[in-house]
Amino acid sequence: MATENISVIKLRNLLLVTVPPDPDDQTVSALQEQVLQAMAQHECRGLVLDISTVETLDSFFARTIAETVQMVGLMGGRTVLAGMRASVAVTATQLGLTMGKALTALDVDRALDLLDSAPSGDGV
Amino acid sequence: MNAASHGEFRIGSESDIVAARKVVRNAATALGFGITDVTRIVTAASELTRNIYHYARSGVMRWRAISRDARLGLELTFEDSGPGIPDVAKAMEAGFTTSKGLGLGLPGAKRLMDEMTVRSQVGKGTTVEVRKWLRK
Repeated sequence: MATENISVIKLRNLLLVTVPPDPDDQTVSALQEQVLQAMAQHECRGLVLDISTVETLDSFFARTIAETVQMVGLMGGRTVLAGMRASVAVTATQLGLTMGKALTALDVDRALDLLDSAPSGDGV
Repeated sequence: MNAASHGEFRIGSESDIVAARKVVRNAATALGFGITDVTRIVTAASELTRNIYHYARSGVMRWRAISRDARLGLELTFEDSGPGIPDVAKAMEAGFTTSKGLGLGLPGAKRLMDEMTVRSQVGKGTTVEVRKWLRK
């Protein structure tokens, strides 16, 4: 089965990753792998996960994101979750999801501002 | 309305989790649920479908439009012939899991929906029924 396309773009010293609207588990796992590879390859200091089109954030997806945030942190990068929809935020909170150490921003533009001002790395 | 007031979806592979979400999204939207409730219902369905795939490998999801006291709602039933849940009360506790999951599936789905019933027999299988009512 083909996984949905994941767009991973290097932008200056950051990675911009656009998460597809309704990814299956395989796509979510592939996303984590691609992100970590790209982080290492491009020596990025931060990651922006654009989740503005995501309609369903369930516990598997959330766990993988929280893991990715932690892994990126160990590699010295910060992660910003950008653009979570209101309906998804309500649902995620009721479901009991936490996103680990992810920073959050209303959209990608603000996420870039946030990473510009945030200290790099996780102090590891 | 009769033609689209109920349906059935078989779960047998990982990609069926996404497919089941689409079925539920369409049903909930057609019934008139708003975007936040649709998201709640679809997310609950995602957790319960994943439970079936994860623990029982296969099963079936049924959905139907329901009404009670002039209120409309959506009922989803998830049925499998898997290993069953030895202690349903324990499984309803947040954070309890026998797999590598977060343990949010059952308790999370319950919080997202208005009503939930779990019937399970070890060695026979599990049936989870959830309902969401349209706000007047």
